[in-house]
Amino acid sequence: MNGKGHDNAGAGAPARGDYVLEARDLARRFKVGSSFLATPQVVRAVDGVSLSVRRGETLAIVGESGCGKSTLARLLLRLLRPSSGQVLYDGTDISDLPEREMRRLRKDLQFIFQDPFSSLNPRMTVGAIVEEPMRVHGIGTRASRPQQVADLLRRVGLRAEYANRYPHEFSGGQRQRIGIARALACGPRVLIGDEPVSALDVSIQAQVINLLEELKAEFDLTLVLIAHDLAVIRHMSDRVAVMYLGEIVEQGETDTLYDAPLHPYTQALMRAIPIPSPRSRKVDSGLTGDVPSPLAPPPGCRFHTRCPLASGICKVERPPLATVAHDRMVACHHWEEARAGIPSAAETPAHSHAAERRFALYREHSLAGTAAASDRTP
Amino acid sequence: MPSDETGRAGSPGEPLLTLDGLSIRFKGAQANVVDGVSLSVNPGETLCIVGESGCGKSVTALSLMGLLPVPPAEILSGRAMFEGRDLLGLTRRELGEIRGDRVSMIFQEPMTSLNPVYTVGDQIAEIVLRHRRIGKREARARALEMLRRVKVPAPEKRLDDYPHQLSGGMRQRVMIAMALANDPQLLIADEPTTALDVTIQAQILDLIRTLQDESGTALILITHDLGVVAEIADTVAVMYAGRVVEQGSVTSVFDDPQHPYTIGLMSSVPSLGKRTGSLATVPGMVPTVDTMPDGCRFAPRCPFASEACRREAPPLRRVDASQAPGHRVACVHAPLETTFGGVAA
Ligand SMILES: Nc1ncnc2c1ncn2[C@@H]1O[C@H](COP(=O)(O)OP(=O)(O)OP(=O)(O)O)[C@@H](O)[C@H]1O
Ligand SMILES: Nc1ncnc2c1ncn2[C@@H]1O[C@H](COP(=O)(O)OP(=O)(O)OP(=O)(O)O)[C@@H](O)[C@H]1O
Ligand code: SF4
Ligand code: SF4
Ligand SMILES: [Mg+2]
Ligand SMILES: [Mg+2]
Repeated sequence: MNGKGHDNAGAGAPARGDYVLEARDLARRFKVGSSFLATPQVVRAVDGVSLSVRRGETLAIVGESGCGKSTLARLLLRLLRPSSGQVLYDGTDISDLPEREMRRLRKDLQFIFQDPFSSLNPRMTVGAIVEEPMRVHGIGTRASRPQQVADLLRRVGLRAEYANRYPHEFSGGQRQRIGIARALACGPRVLIGDEPVSALDVSIQAQVINLLEELKAEFDLTLVLIAHDLAVIRHMSDRVAVMYLGEIVEQGETDTLYDAPLHPYTQALMRAIPIPSPRSRKVDSGLTGDVPSPLAPPPGCRFHTRCPLASGICKVERPPLATVAHDRMVACHHWEEARAGIPSAAETPAHSHAAERRFALYREHSLAGTAAASDRTP
Repeated sequence: MPSDETGRAGSPGEPLLTLDGLSIRFKGAQANVVDGVSLSVNPGETLCIVGESGCGKSVTALSLMGLLPVPPAEILSGRAMFEGRDLLGLTRRELGEIRGDRVSMIFQEPMTSLNPVYTVGDQIAEIVLRHRRIGKREARARALEMLRRVKVPAPEKRLDDYPHQLSGGMRQRVMIAMALANDPQLLIADEPTTALDVTIQAQILDLIRTLQDESGTALILITHDLGVVAEIADTVAVMYAGRVVEQGSVTSVFDDPQHPYTIGLMSSVPSLGKRTGSLATVPGMVPTVDTMPDGCRFAPRCPFASEACRREAPPLRRVDASQAPGHRVACVHAPLETTFGGVAA
């Protein structure tokens, strides 16, 4: 039903050919600053990232705002060119591929944007928006495409008649469905979602999460998911990469990483999540201070200005991302000490008996009414 | 500057603010955006208002502060009793005296309420000077003290910074410093941490909690995050499409959720624990003001809806005698088990 449970997720090191996308020491710098400044400053938005995406998995990239998630996603799809490093698609280096050849690959690699409000052209009908990638990649014929569009719209839970309407007539959740239909139109193999559900209300978010999971299984997709919501990630992904200020600080199989986060930053993130149960009041990241400016990242370990375990070496020497266990990488000089401070997400208290009973009742009745509901609601 | 008027808050157990039957409509709209909302908050306690985007949380808060644009908005009915006066019936001048002093507000996006051309020190001092008979020097000292209390690092230096020189988390701290500078009895915070990263959010929530313990300020916190509610609330009001559909103590609402919307919302949040299956969802979407159904406004999305639900708006009521006092729900079929039978949990 979703990526989880794919039995290749944690079983043995995959063979070369099992990687769909790979980043090798990928970096992207941006020049910023006002034109008044003699020397423009440089943001190292992504700084030396290596990452492999396995065929059929859901890989999540998590981190706080400005850490370079969107830049990394754009680099992986070659919507941006790297300043250095390589991106491999099916083992082929695509970092320097000319745009003309890149266009063929775009059919395979699709993007879902965070903002369902600005990412759809307001002057195009929904039908034209969804049809566009098919036209560009020569899929179907002028006569067959309207039917294909209608099928796609229905598949993402919208009415086929909506093809004639414009984006502004739709809610955030509906627009995100339109974006997903467009991304699916040319039969992609890899879908990268940049915060695809962050802008949505919880009740709508759950609809879109379930939809993405169904589509992933149905269309045999590999999913790269950018998000900052750790609960959404745990729910959806097989593996997780945690970013901080342009670097990956920890990476591993989802359940292992959540049960025992090893990097002090990952631990702080886990502790900071408010749990929706009043029995477990605890929120306290254990951190002080703000995220440093990416224009002037701290030397050594970039997390040392906020890290409770920082020592002398952390201020001068950048810890490499090292493999510390099977399928598990951490960039921290003191990860073994950090292990003692593991907060446990597994402690999440269960809901009360009465609450669980009502949840079950709710599920039972909403399943019973699903057919009727999907007729009635878009 | 300790308040000499704390006694005015009334005896313990008596609410500091009681909002009763608030209804608001925008010009030309087919239905009320806020429809008969009643709420109360006790001195020193935290009430969280939670609900989906557009359900009327901000409009409710703005009306309490006299900040709603009238017109296009029109307050059709309601009273908001605070320290013996009806906030909804005050003149512009009376409101100006209360605002920033007895009651203050923090907004989601601090840049909209910080003035970019004044230093943060001047802005905090200004709000103190507006309400207190003290000198400039004292006001500046107060500003410094407030920056220190909200844990802005190197407060002496930050006093002369302009808002754009601060990070998002730091600006939100400055907003809190301004809001608390005159020791208000009531603080209304509209999504104060939504724009912040989780590690910064945790720091801000912790700060709010600490300051509240120190000062005894009551808090109305607006959020759409059930995690934040569970973390900080004493009492909760769940809003749906302009109405309060469930309210009660935070433990009673989370441990004994009664309204199908509350239940649907809680079960559609993924958990940080091991995955247990696909998420429950609330199908469909919130009705717009122009497609507002008669009767229960949740009926088009509710798996339990029946004819009775569509007849008239279900009133907020206590479900049964065994229920926690103060826990109320607006649903014809609550408790659901009586009509729909139990499910083995
Ligand atoms: N085109 C650009 N020009 C200049 N700076 C940029 C550009 N794109 C990104 N940056 C900077 O690079 C850094 C990383 O940005 P990016 O958008 O990748 O972060 P992110 O993790 O996606 O953040 P968010 O969670 O806020 O979306 C930020 O400091 C950002 O300001
Ligand atoms: N000035 C206005 N004119 C017309 N309609 C308005 C105006 N301000 C708000 N509304 C409408 O009133 C309703 C309630 O808005 P409100 O801002 O209170 O929602 P909210 O619960 O705070 O949502 P959010 O979580 O998105 O902040 C919305 O449907 C909104 O479109
Ligand atoms: S390397 Fe040092 S500063 Fe960085 S996370 Fe590890 S302990 Fe903290
Ligand atoms: S009154 Fe009816 S429609 Fe409304 S929430 Fe209760 S069961 Fe659902
Ligand atoms: Mg981004
Ligand atoms: Mg609002």
